[in-house]
Amino acid sequence: MYYYIYDSYLSEKKYVSTLARIENRLTDLGINGKINRLSFLKNIRQVLEDEVKKGTKTIVVVGNDQTLNKVVNIIHDLNITIGYIPVGKNNISELLNIPEAELACDTLSARIIKNVDLGKINDEYFFTTLIAGGQQATINCDDNFFLTLENKNNYIQISKLSSSNKFDNNKLEVLICDRKRKLLKQTNKSCSRLFSKTIKITSKKPMSISIKDEAQVVKTPTTISVVPKKINIICGKGINC
Amino acid sequence: MFKEQPTNNETETIIGPSVRVEGDFITEGNIIIEGIVCGTVKTAKNLSVGAKSKIFANVTASNALISGEVQGNIKVKERLELTATARIYGDIKAGTLVIAAGSVLDGKCQMTKGKDKTPKPDFSRQEKITLEQKEDKKK
Repeated sequence: MYYYIYDSYLSEKKYVSTLARIENRLTDLGINGKINRLSFLKNIRQVLEDEVKKGTKTIVVVGNDQTLNKVVNIIHDLNITIGYIPVGKNNISELLNIPEAELACDTLSARIIKNVDLGKINDEYFFTTLIAGGQQATINCDDNFFLTLENKNNYIQISKLSSSNKFDNNKLEVLICDRKRKLLKQTNKSCSRLFSKTIKITSKKPMSISIKDEAQVVKTPTTISVVPKKINIICGKGINC
Repeated sequence: MFKEQPTNNETETIIGPSVRVEGDFITEGNIIIEGIVCGTVKTAKNLSVGAKSKIFANVTASNALISGEVQGNIKVKERLELTATARIYGDIKAGTLVIAAGSVLDGKCQMTKGKDKTPKPDFSRQEKITLEQKEDKKK
Protein backbone atom coordinates (compact mmCIF):
# COMPACT_ATOMS: atom_id res chain seq x y z
CA MET A 1 0.00 0.00 0.00
CA TYR A 2 1.42 3.34 -1.07
CA TYR A 3 0.91 6.77 0.48
CA TYR A 4 1.99 9.89 -1.42
CA ILE A 5 3.20 13.15 0.12
CA TYR A 6 3.34 16.16 -2.18
CA ASP A 7 5.33 19.25 -1.29
CA SER A 8 3.29 22.43 -1.02
CA TYR A 9 5.13 24.16 -3.89
CA LEU A 10 3.68 21.60 -6.33
CA SER A 11 0.32 23.39 -6.04
CA GLU A 12 1.60 25.99 -8.50
CA LYS A 13 0.17 25.95 -12.04
CA LYS A 14 3.44 25.08 -13.75
CA TYR A 15 3.51 21.66 -12.06
CA VAL A 16 -0.05 20.64 -12.97
CA SER A 17 0.90 18.77 -16.15
CA THR A 18 3.88 17.06 -14.48
CA LEU A 19 1.71 15.83 -11.62
CA ALA A 20 -0.95 14.64 -14.07
CA ARG A 21 1.63 12.58 -15.97
CA ILE A 22 2.96 11.13 -12.70
CA GLU A 23 -0.50 10.19 -11.46
CA ASN A 24 -1.45 8.59 -14.78
CA ARG A 25 1.69 6.49 -14.76
CA LEU A 26 1.13 5.39 -11.19
CA THR A 27 -2.39 4.30 -12.13
CA ASP A 28 -1.10 2.37 -15.15
CA LEU A 29 1.41 0.58 -12.92
CA GLY A 30 -1.23 -0.10 -10.29
CA ILE A 31 0.69 1.60 -7.48
CA ASN A 32 -1.48 4.66 -6.92
CA GLY A 33 -2.62 5.51 -3.42
CA LYS A 34 -3.75 8.29 -1.09
CA ILE A 35 -2.27 11.73 -1.55
CA ASN A 36 -1.48 14.30 1.11
CA ARG A 37 0.16 17.71 0.77
CA LEU A 38 2.74 19.09 3.16
CA SER A 39 1.57 22.17 5.00
CA PHE A 40 2.71 23.97 8.15
CA LEU A 41 -0.87 23.68 9.41
CA LYS A 42 -0.87 19.91 9.30
CA ASN A 43 0.78 17.58 11.78
CA ILE A 44 2.21 15.31 9.12
CA ARG A 45 3.84 13.04 11.69
CA GLN A 46 0.46 12.17 13.22
CA VAL A 47 -1.09 11.60 9.80
CA LEU A 48 1.71 9.23 8.76
CA GLU A 49 1.63 7.31 12.03
CA ASP A 50 -2.10 6.72 11.52
CA GLU A 51 -1.48 5.54 7.94
CA VAL A 52 1.26 3.14 9.05
CA LYS A 53 -1.11 1.67 11.65
CA LYS A 54 -3.67 1.13 8.87
CA GLY A 55 -1.15 -0.91 6.91
CA THR A 56 0.78 1.50 4.68
CA LYS A 57 4.15 -0.02 3.87
CA THR A 58 5.60 2.63 1.57
CA ILE A 59 5.57 6.41 1.85
CA VAL A 60 6.45 8.16 -1.39
CA VAL A 61 7.79 11.71 -1.35
CA VAL A 62 6.98 13.80 -4.42
CA GLY A 63 9.06 16.98 -4.62
CA ASN A 64 12.71 17.90 -4.27
CA ASP A 65 15.64 17.03 -1.98
CA GLN A 66 14.40 19.40 0.69
CA THR A 67 11.03 17.65 0.72
CA LEU A 68 12.67 14.25 1.05
CA ASN A 69 14.95 15.39 3.84
CA LYS A 70 12.05 17.03 5.69
CA VAL A 71 9.95 13.86 5.54
CA VAL A 72 12.88 11.60 6.52
CA ASN A 73 13.48 13.74 9.61
CA ILE A 74 9.83 13.37 10.55
CA ILE A 75 9.46 9.61 10.03
CA HIS A 76 12.96 8.20 10.43
CA ASP A 77 11.93 6.00 13.36
CA LEU A 78 8.88 4.44 11.67
CA ASN A 79 9.72 1.06 10.19
CA ILE A 80 8.63 1.74 6.61
CA THR A 81 10.05 2.02 3.12
CA ILE A 82 10.51 5.45 1.55
CA GLY A 83 10.05 6.14 -2.14
CA TYR A 84 11.01 9.30 -4.01
CA ILE A 85 9.60 10.89 -7.15
CA PRO A 86 11.78 13.92 -7.86
CA VAL A 87 10.27 16.86 -9.69
CA GLY A 88 13.14 18.58 -11.45
CA LYS A 89 16.88 17.83 -11.22
CA ASN A 90 17.95 16.99 -7.71
CA ASN A 91 21.21 15.88 -6.14
CA ILE A 92 19.86 12.98 -4.06
CA SER A 93 17.87 11.52 -6.94
CA GLU A 94 20.97 11.51 -9.16
CA LEU A 95 23.00 9.75 -6.48
CA LEU A 96 20.25 7.16 -5.97
CA ASN A 97 19.84 6.70 -9.75
CA ILE A 98 16.19 7.78 -9.67
CA PRO A 99 15.01 9.53 -12.85
CA GLU A 100 12.67 12.53 -12.84
CA ALA A 101 8.88 12.77 -12.72
CA GLU A 102 6.89 9.97 -14.43
CA LEU A 103 10.06 7.95 -15.17
CA ALA A 104 10.58 7.61 -11.42
CA CYS A 105 7.28 5.72 -11.21
CA ASP A 106 8.87 2.77 -12.99
CA THR A 107 11.74 2.84 -10.47
CA LEU A 108 9.15 2.88 -7.72
CA SER A 109 7.36 -0.08 -9.25
CA ALA A 110 10.60 -2.08 -9.51
CA ARG A 111 11.02 -1.76 -5.71
CA ILE A 112 14.78 -2.11 -5.45
CA ILE A 113 15.03 -1.36 -1.74
CA LYS A 114 18.33 -0.37 -0.16
CA ASN A 115 19.09 0.09 3.52
CA VAL A 116 21.15 3.28 3.56
CA ASP A 117 23.15 5.19 6.14
CA LEU A 118 22.27 8.73 7.08
CA GLY A 119 24.40 11.50 8.46
CA LYS A 120 23.32 13.22 11.67
CA ILE A 121 24.21 16.72 12.77
CA ASN A 122 23.03 17.40 16.30
CA ASP A 123 19.44 16.09 16.01
CA GLU A 124 18.97 16.57 12.26
CA TYR A 125 19.44 13.82 9.69
CA PHE A 126 20.89 14.51 6.28
CA PHE A 127 21.58 12.50 3.13
CA THR A 128 24.34 14.29 1.34
CA THR A 129 26.44 17.26 2.34
CA LEU A 130 27.24 19.86 4.98
CA ILE A 131 29.15 22.99 4.06
CA ALA A 132 31.09 25.22 6.44
CA GLY A 133 34.10 27.47 6.48
CA GLY A 134 35.41 30.96 6.82
CA GLN A 135 36.63 30.58 10.41
CA GLN A 136 39.55 29.07 12.28
CA ALA A 137 38.28 25.73 13.52
CA THR A 138 39.23 22.49 15.20
CA ILE A 139 37.85 19.24 13.81
CA ASN A 140 37.97 16.25 16.16
CA CYS A 141 37.74 12.92 14.28
CA ASP A 142 36.58 9.80 16.15
CA ASP A 143 38.20 11.17 19.34
CA ASN A 144 41.47 9.80 17.94
CA PHE A 145 42.99 12.86 16.34
CA PHE A 146 42.08 16.43 15.61
CA LEU A 147 42.80 18.85 12.81
CA THR A 148 43.54 22.48 13.39
CA LEU A 149 42.62 24.90 10.63
CA GLU A 150 44.41 28.16 11.20
CA ASN A 151 43.61 29.67 7.86
CA LYS A 152 40.31 31.59 7.80
CA ASN A 153 40.02 31.14 4.04
CA ASN A 154 38.97 27.55 4.31
CA TYR A 155 36.04 25.66 2.84
CA ILE A 156 34.87 22.54 4.64
CA GLN A 157 32.57 19.97 3.05
CA ILE A 158 31.35 16.95 5.01
CA SER A 159 29.57 14.32 2.93
CA LYS A 160 27.74 11.12 3.71
CA LEU A 161 26.41 10.40 0.26
CA SER A 162 28.35 11.79 -2.67
CA SER A 163 29.85 10.70 -5.96
CA SER A 164 33.19 10.15 -4.23
CA ASN A 165 31.90 8.57 -1.00
CA LYS A 166 30.31 5.20 -1.64
CA PHE A 167 27.24 3.87 0.06
CA ASP A 168 29.00 0.99 1.75
CA ASN A 169 31.65 3.21 3.30
CA ASN A 170 30.27 3.61 6.80
CA LYS A 171 32.05 6.94 7.21
CA LEU A 172 31.78 10.64 6.55
CA GLU A 173 34.05 12.15 3.94
CA VAL A 174 35.68 15.40 5.06
CA LEU A 175 37.06 17.71 2.39
CA ILE A 176 38.94 20.83 3.45
CA CYS A 177 40.03 23.32 0.85
CA ASP A 178 42.30 26.27 1.39
CA ARG A 179 40.89 29.02 -0.78
CA LYS A 180 42.89 31.83 -2.25
CA ARG A 181 41.28 35.02 -3.41
CA LYS A 182 42.48 36.20 -6.78
CA LEU A 183 40.75 39.49 -7.63
CA LEU A 184 37.06 38.52 -7.62
CA LYS A 185 37.63 34.81 -8.14
CA GLN A 186 38.20 32.19 -5.51
CA THR A 187 40.32 29.25 -6.49
CA ASN A 188 41.08 26.16 -4.46
CA LYS A 189 44.75 26.28 -3.51
CA SER A 190 45.09 22.88 -1.85
CA CYS A 191 42.74 20.26 -0.49
CA SER A 192 42.73 17.74 2.33
CA ARG A 193 40.57 14.66 2.39
CA LEU A 194 39.90 12.13 5.11
CA PHE A 195 37.24 9.77 6.44
CA SER A 196 35.77 9.57 9.90
CA LYS A 197 32.71 8.10 11.65
CA THR A 198 32.23 10.92 14.15
CA ILE A 199 33.26 14.54 13.80
CA LYS A 200 33.13 17.33 16.36
CA ILE A 201 33.67 20.85 15.11
CA THR A 202 34.54 23.69 17.45
CA SER A 203 35.66 27.23 16.74
CA LYS A 204 36.48 30.36 18.71
CA LYS A 205 33.65 32.27 17.03
CA PRO A 206 30.41 30.45 16.08
CA MET A 207 30.71 29.11 12.56
CA SER A 208 27.69 28.44 10.36
CA ILE A 209 27.27 24.96 8.92
CA SER A 210 24.79 24.72 6.08
CA ILE A 211 22.80 21.50 5.54
CA LYS A 212 22.61 21.33 1.75
CA ASP A 213 19.58 18.96 1.66
CA GLU A 214 17.41 21.25 3.69
CA ALA A 215 18.82 24.77 3.19
CA GLN A 216 19.18 24.99 6.94
CA VAL A 217 22.01 26.40 9.05
CA VAL A 218 23.48 25.04 12.30
CA LYS A 219 26.10 26.81 14.42
CA THR A 220 29.24 25.34 16.02
CA PRO A 221 30.03 23.63 18.36
CA THR A 222 28.42 20.64 16.74
CA THR A 223 28.70 16.86 16.51
CA ILE A 224 28.29 15.06 13.20
CA SER A 225 28.04 11.30 12.97
CA VAL A 226 26.95 8.43 10.76
CA VAL A 227 23.79 6.48 11.59
CA PRO A 228 24.30 3.16 9.83
CA LYS A 229 21.46 1.42 7.97
CA LYS A 230 18.95 4.01 9.12
CA ILE A 231 16.26 3.94 6.44
CA ASN A 232 14.94 1.74 3.65
CA ILE A 233 14.64 3.62 0.39
CA ILE A 234 13.66 2.59 -3.12
CA CYS A 235 16.61 3.22 -5.44
CA GLY A 236 17.35 2.89 -9.11
CA LYS A 237 19.44 0.11 -10.61
CA GLY A 238 23.17 -0.04 -10.14
CA ILE A 239 23.37 1.22 -6.58
CA ASN A 240 25.54 -0.94 -4.33
CA CYS A 241 24.86 -0.72 -0.62
CA MET B 1 33.16 22.36 -6.79
CA PHE B 2 36.38 20.62 -5.76
CA LYS B 3 38.45 20.51 -8.90
CA GLU B 4 41.42 19.03 -7.10
CA GLN B 5 39.34 16.24 -5.60
CA PRO B 6 41.23 12.95 -5.74
CA THR B 7 39.34 10.24 -7.53
CA ASN B 8 41.88 7.50 -8.13
CA ASN B 9 41.58 5.79 -4.73
CA GLU B 10 38.35 5.84 -2.73
CA THR B 11 40.02 5.45 0.66
CA GLU B 12 42.97 7.76 0.08
CA THR B 13 43.59 10.23 2.88
CA ILE B 14 45.22 13.55 2.09
CA ILE B 15 46.50 16.05 4.63
CA GLY B 16 47.03 19.36 2.85
CA PRO B 17 49.76 21.91 3.63
CA SER B 18 47.55 24.23 5.65
CA VAL B 19 46.33 21.52 8.04
CA ARG B 20 47.87 20.40 11.32
CA VAL B 21 46.95 16.98 12.71
CA GLU B 22 47.49 15.94 16.33
CA GLY B 23 46.80 12.51 17.75
CA ASP B 24 46.72 8.88 16.59
CA PHE B 25 46.24 9.04 12.85
CA ILE B 26 45.37 5.47 11.90
CA THR B 27 43.77 4.48 8.59
CA GLU B 28 43.39 1.45 6.34
CA GLY B 29 44.09 3.15 3.02
CA ASN B 30 46.84 5.19 1.39
CA ILE B 31 47.97 8.41 3.07
CA ILE B 32 49.47 11.52 1.48
CA ILE B 33 50.83 14.05 3.96
CA GLU B 34 51.69 17.60 2.91
CA GLY B 35 51.10 19.29 6.27
CA ILE B 36 52.17 18.81 9.89
CA VAL B 37 51.38 15.68 11.90
CA CYS B 38 52.11 15.12 15.60
CA GLY B 39 51.45 11.83 17.35
CA THR B 40 51.26 8.50 15.53
CA VAL B 41 50.84 7.69 11.85
CA LYS B 42 49.80 4.18 10.93
CA THR B 43 48.46 2.66 7.74
CA ALA B 44 48.18 -0.82 6.29
CA LYS B 45 48.97 0.54 2.81
CA ASN B 46 51.16 3.25 1.32
CA LEU B 47 52.41 6.47 2.84
CA SER B 48 53.73 9.48 0.95
CA VAL B 49 55.30 12.43 2.77
CA GLY B 50 55.71 15.65 0.78
CA ALA B 51 58.86 17.75 0.65
CA LYS B 52 57.43 20.57 2.79
CA SER B 53 55.70 18.40 5.35
CA LYS B 54 56.84 17.70 8.90
CA ILE B 55 55.98 14.65 10.94
CA PHE B 56 56.66 14.49 14.66
CA ALA B 57 55.50 10.93 15.10
CA ASN B 58 56.34 7.27 14.83
CA VAL B 59 55.35 6.00 11.42
CA THR B 60 54.18 2.53 10.39
CA ALA B 61 53.26 1.61 6.82
CA SER B 62 53.46 -1.11 4.23
CA ASN B 63 55.35 1.09 1.75
CA ALA B 64 56.60 4.63 2.21
CA LEU B 65 57.99 7.40 0.04
CA ILE B 66 59.43 10.18 2.17
CA SER B 67 60.50 13.58 0.89
CA GLY B 68 60.02 15.68 4.02
CA GLU B 69 61.04 15.71 7.64
CA VAL B 70 60.26 12.90 10.09
CA GLN B 71 61.21 13.12 13.75
CA GLY B 72 60.38 9.65 14.98
CA ASN B 73 60.91 6.01 14.20
CA ILE B 74 59.82 4.55 10.89
CA LYS B 75 58.73 0.97 10.43
CA VAL B 76 57.95 -0.12 6.88
CA LYS B 77 57.07 -3.68 6.02
CA GLU B 78 58.03 -3.60 2.34
CA ARG B 79 59.77 -0.69 0.59
CA LEU B 80 61.01 2.53 2.13
CA GLU B 81 62.29 5.20 -0.20
CA LEU B 82 63.99 8.39 0.98
CA THR B 83 64.28 11.06 -1.67
CA ALA B 84 66.94 13.76 -1.87
CA THR B 85 64.94 16.15 0.36
CA ALA B 86 64.15 13.57 3.07
CA ARG B 87 65.35 14.22 6.60
CA ILE B 88 64.87 11.38 9.09
CA TYR B 89 65.73 11.84 12.77
CA GLY B 90 65.00 8.45 14.23
CA ASP B 91 65.45 4.75 13.65
CA ILE B 92 64.22 3.01 10.54
CA LYS B 93 63.22 -0.56 9.92
CA ALA B 94 62.37 -1.69 6.38
CA GLY B 95 62.22 -4.67 4.07
CA THR B 96 63.74 -2.85 1.11
CA LEU B 97 65.53 0.46 1.47
CA VAL B 98 66.25 3.10 -1.17
CA ILE B 99 68.18 6.19 -0.12
CA ALA B 100 68.77 8.98 -2.63
CA ALA B 101 71.86 11.15 -2.58
CA GLY B 102 71.33 14.21 -0.39
CA SER B 103 68.86 12.67 2.07
CA VAL B 104 69.59 12.82 5.80
CA LEU B 105 69.29 9.78 8.08
CA ASP B 106 70.22 10.30 11.72
CA GLY B 107 69.45 7.02 13.49
CA LYS B 108 69.78 3.28 13.37
CA CYS B 109 68.87 1.25 10.31
CA GLN B 110 67.57 -2.31 10.42
CA MET B 111 66.54 -4.47 7.50
CA THR B 112 63.71 -6.86 8.22
CA LYS B 113 63.68 -9.17 5.20
CA GLY B 114 65.25 -12.48 6.10
CA LYS B 115 68.38 -12.57 3.95
CA ASP B 116 70.35 -15.37 5.55
CA LYS B 117 73.77 -14.51 6.87
CA THR B 118 76.66 -16.75 5.85
CA PRO B 119 77.38 -19.07 8.82
CA LYS B 120 80.69 -18.33 10.56
CA PRO B 121 83.19 -21.20 10.11
CA ASP B 122 84.29 -23.04 13.25
CA PHE B 123 87.97 -22.12 13.59
CA SER B 124 88.44 -23.94 16.94
CA ARG B 125 88.77 -27.41 15.29
CA GLN B 126 91.66 -26.41 13.05
CA GLU B 127 94.99 -27.82 14.24
CA LYS B 128 97.54 -25.27 15.30
CA ILE B 129 100.54 -25.26 12.99
CA THR B 130 103.78 -24.00 14.61
CA LEU B 131 106.89 -22.68 12.83
CA GLU B 132 108.91 -25.84 13.73
CA GLN B 133 106.27 -28.09 12.14
CA LYS B 134 106.34 -25.96 8.99
CA GLU B 135 110.15 -26.34 8.71
CA ASP B 136 109.91 -30.14 9.27
CA LYS B 137 107.34 -30.38 6.49
CA LYS B 138 109.62 -28.47 4.13
CA LYS B 139 112.48 -30.88 4.85
